[in-house]
Amino acid sequence: MSPMKEGESASYQKIKSMTTLKDVLAVATSFEASARDFYTGLIPKVSKNFRWLVEDLAREEQGHYDLFTSLAQRDDIEGAIQAEIERPVTDGKFADAVMIPDLGDNPDDQSVLQYAMGREHLAMTHYRALADSTAAGPIKELFEYLANEEAKHKEELEKLYYETVHSGGV
Amino acid sequence: MRPENYEARRQPPSHEYELNIGPNHPGIEGNYAFKLRLHGDEVIEGRADAGYLHRGFEKLMEGRLWIQNLAITPRICVPDPVPMEISYCLAVEDLCGLEVPERAKWLRVMQAELSRLAAHLFTFGGHAATTGMYTPMFWGIADRDLILDLFEELCGGRVYHIYNIPGGVRRDMPPGFIERVSNTLDYLESRLPDYDDLMFKNRVFVKRARGIGVISQKHALDWAVTGPNLRATGLAFDVRRDDPYLVYDQIDFDVVTEDAGDAWARALVRRKELFQSIRIIRQVLAKLPEIPGPIRCPIPNPLAWNVPAGSTYVRMESSKGELAWYVVSNGGEKPYRTHVRGPSQMHAVQVLEKLAVGCRIEDVAQIMFSLDACPPEVDR
Amino acid sequence: MSAIDHDVSGKLPRGRHTHGDEPDMNAIDHKATGGILSPLKGLQFFGRKPVTQPLEPRPASANYRGFHLNDWQLCIGCSTCQKVCDNAAITMVEIPGLPEDAAKGVRNLRPAIDYGRCCWCALCVDLCPTGSISLSREYVHTCTDPEIDSYFVLPDANGIHGVAYDKGWAKSEQSDLVALQRTEMPEMAPEARIANFDEIVEGYDKNQGIIEASRCVQCGMCHDACPTHMNAPEYIRAIWQDDIEEAVRQIYRTNPFAHTCGRVCTHRCETACSVGHRGAPIAIRWLKRFAMDQLDHERVKEIAAEGKAAYPSGKRVAIIGAGPAGLTAAYDLAKQGHAVKVFEAMGAAGGMTRYGIPYYRLPADKLDQDVDVITSLGVEIQYDTRIGSDVTMERLRDDYDAVLVAVGLWMGRSTRVKGAEADGVYRAVELLRKVADGESIPVPKQAVIIGGGNVAMDIARTLARLQKQHYGQVAITLTALEDLDHFLADPDEIKEAREEGVEILDARGPQEVVLDSSGRATGLRTWKVLSIFDEQGRFAPKYDETDEIIHAGDMVVEAIGQAADVNLLGEALTEALEWNRGRLKVDEQLRTSADWLWAAGDMVRGPDVVSAVADGHRAAASINDHLSIREQAA
Repeated sequence: MSPMKEGESASYQKIKSMTTLKDVLAVATSFEASARDFYTGLIPKVSKNFRWLVEDLAREEQGHYDLFTSLAQRDDIEGAIQAEIERPVTDGKFADAVMIPDLGDNPDDQSVLQYAMGREHLAMTHYRALADSTAAGPIKELFEYLANEEAKHKEELEKLYYETVHSGGV
Repeated sequence: MRPENYEARRQPPSHEYELNIGPNHPGIEGNYAFKLRLHGDEVIEGRADAGYLHRGFEKLMEGRLWIQNLAITPRICVPDPVPMEISYCLAVEDLCGLEVPERAKWLRVMQAELSRLAAHLFTFGGHAATTGMYTPMFWGIADRDLILDLFEELCGGRVYHIYNIPGGVRRDMPPGFIERVSNTLDYLESRLPDYDDLMFKNRVFVKRARGIGVISQKHALDWAVTGPNLRATGLAFDVRRDDPYLVYDQIDFDVVTEDAGDAWARALVRRKELFQSIRIIRQVLAKLPEIPGPIRCPIPNPLAWNVPAGSTYVRMESSKGELAWYVVSNGGEKPYRTHVRGPSQMHAVQVLEKLAVGCRIEDVAQIMFSLDACPPEVDR
Repeated sequence: MSAIDHDVSGKLPRGRHTHGDEPDMNAIDHKATGGILSPLKGLQFFGRKPVTQPLEPRPASANYRGFHLNDWQLCIGCSTCQKVCDNAAITMVEIPGLPEDAAKGVRNLRPAIDYGRCCWCALCVDLCPTGSISLSREYVHTCTDPEIDSYFVLPDANGIHGVAYDKGWAKSEQSDLVALQRTEMPEMAPEARIANFDEIVEGYDKNQGIIEASRCVQCGMCHDACPTHMNAPEYIRAIWQDDIEEAVRQIYRTNPFAHTCGRVCTHRCETACSVGHRGAPIAIRWLKRFAMDQLDHERVKEIAAEGKAAYPSGKRVAIIGAGPAGLTAAYDLAKQGHAVKVFEAMGAAGGMTRYGIPYYRLPADKLDQDVDVITSLGVEIQYDTRIGSDVTMERLRDDYDAVLVAVGLWMGRSTRVKGAEADGVYRAVELLRKVADGESIPVPKQAVIIGGGNVAMDIARTLARLQKQHYGQVAITLTALEDLDHFLADPDEIKEAREEGVEILDARGPQEVVLDSSGRATGLRTWKVLSIFDEQGRFAPKYDETDEIIHAGDMVVEAIGQAADVNLLGEALTEALEWNRGRLKVDEQLRTSADWLWAAGDMVRGPDVVSAVADGHRAAASINDHLSIREQAA
């Protein structure tokens, strides 16, 4: 299997052809791993005064990675997923309006947050599209679950974004 | 607390002896002592001995905020506390130039007269008791209690009302109060003939009181006698009429006098003033519904109240006589000096000391009660 | 018994010398001896049925002044009752576990009454700011405890016996002695102020100042709530006593930005003010301003210099940033005898108070006076010197005994929505700085502001004035993500902005800056925000996409947030220092992880003048300790 990258449409199209929950979950987990690695790689590149932010993001992605990994090891994946998607997360749509920047060599704290929000937003959109185009069944439910999870991640980031950028407005 | 009172007299004549009435004695009013030198039953000399209250109101007041003194003033005369409050408020109002609302003035007159009723009933009963007749005393105290009930309703306190405040009064009458005062007045008025029967139409009282402790009008003026004691010598002087304050100039009442100047006359003047007070209160009750609030003008924050520098002398007619405050402010948040002219100061010291001489021992208490002396006014 | 004439409205001449008008009384003559049967009248009651009063407690009258009741939910522990008590009968007792919050004006103290001293005057009730105290309709107290100290009672809402009697004497409008009304502050009318930058607030005259000061109950909640713990009760009392010098002396004990804070302070003191619970809080900020305006500037300088060390310490301190934090520290350190040099990037001192606050709120000459007091103590300010480029941090470290960095939040945040980088989109702080510096800025015909804080109001009102001057009319639309209840701006600012013609649209989420074909901003597209925060109070917006508005405007100004520019530290130092979520990590004494460097003010605390002043004091105290220790070690 050629390397698949989170956020790229082609990668998501490939997922579509998969038929087992474990396969799909493995790909989703690998996306989280690549995100974690991306942020981890970014840590030394950013100024120390907002390095905490990138460290937080890397830690966050590791958390997602762990979540999916432990889910894949469960025998009752379907049941666990169903319990989760019964609590759908509504998309706040705040991040949609914020541009996704090119991080470049010398990003500031806001662009890192913008980038992270955008990344989660894209992932959510793709999983949502996959769910919509998949026939009812465990796979569809897994996509819904993943979209849901990404929406949660995005929501967390929006809070952080608001508190970092929009506070101090006196 | 004069030191000479505590030194044994040098070589008293063998036929003379000393007797202390008070400071704890049923024949004395309040914490007060009267020291007699006697020859048999006859008083040769009487000496007033004040100081048992250990209060020092005037000095205390220098250390407290203007408004905090409100709680002290009524304590200067327990049986008749209202004029103390009102006159202190009048003094502060005068210094501050506060315009007291009309309704508050009428309410003050009502309180002052209710208080006079209560005080006269008290003294009246006390006077009877000193002549051995306890029924008028029991009746007087019981009837006075009805007035205290009214005060409880109006002010929240039965004895120390602390109802007045510079600028007016602290709150308005409760609903239905006028009717209840009116009922009480009707009752009190119906009781007056009973008192007359027990006192002035009673041979025992007449025999005991007539010709005892006589003050001539000239002496009364010389000794600064005021109030019912002065009016009992035939001089019609009443601050309410002759130097009107509050709204007394809008009220009909008589200045009651008697000519004899003795204990009997003083008791009778008080008895007649009971009726006059009832008359006054009825006029107030008739007037009050017509007078709208407010009951107090705006006053500064009590914790930050500087009274403008100056001095004032304010007088009122209390049940005992001419009650006055001399208040000096240096512009501060506490009085620089206050002085209260308690009428009993004169009655209980200089007058009593003179009247006692030559009378019999059993009449000393009666003379004191007939003068209606209130020791805290001496011991201020 | 004869009937007594009840007619009291008879027209008897007043003051008539009479022997009484009661017919029966006229019969009493001094010569009459009286009978022996009359006293037997008393026997008429002999056969009457005796009356027995029940022993059960009965409620006293509705106004009765019985024992104290205190509603602990309402009571804030301000101890005003204790102050007005005639007899020192009230002691404030600390109750562990009760809420205690200086910012809200709540203490965990509750009054306990010594009934050996209480005289039941109820002044505590009448002067209670919150109305928590009342007196019960309870007649009797039976002491069950053999000890006499059981007369010392801590009343709650159930009174001293734990049985709820009705309230007797309680707070009523008639008897309330708390001065609830604030002395109105004279201000310029909107029409008069809209075309100029003159100060809006006129200030109290002497009479108004003294009257306003007299409302204070001296509870000290303001002192506790103030970040720099100003001696507000003391200076308010001095103002009331017409001792302005003493008031200024008290002000300078804790705040050398006296004119500034007297005008633009966020006045947390007034939030905590106990009188504010039922009425308007004391105008503490205006009173500070009143005191400062009353006294001659030269005399202020003399008072500020009182207590200055007689001999120089020989130590040198460098301070970066001549704002409230930096100059307050400079003031303290100079008074302690240290040689202080302040490096300021701009051409004048004051920091964000000068370059962020418009002149109609804080006139430059008043700020100049504050700065002049500080420089008169020997503080040297080197202007137009930017640390990092003109002078490096390393250089300061080597040349001085201690360094304090106290820069403001000079970088305006951008929403970074689509189009936010286009021509015609500005950051509020940059525009405000230019206006304060006398530079000209483009004046839009129609402006759209994004933001609901004081900076947003400042730029809206500044642009409104410029529009009025240029075009004769105001056309400003202010949009904010937050709804009005969550605006960070002062209510006064919102009110005054509206008076000046600023249209405020709350709960609008910016989606895009709309551009014309040449790429210039022509407006802002927003969605309605249905709700902004979740139950935890954290950001979680919900939009109504169908409610879309395009606010037209040839200028869009972003006033959403600010950040400090920490590039001045340099890469090496930035790397060497410890950080805490984007801010320099400092200890309680504001010292950074480097032993020679302190940081204070907005950059570590967030934007607030009086907090910056508090920081300045704290940093100065720590630096002074540090320098003294070094002296002892040497």
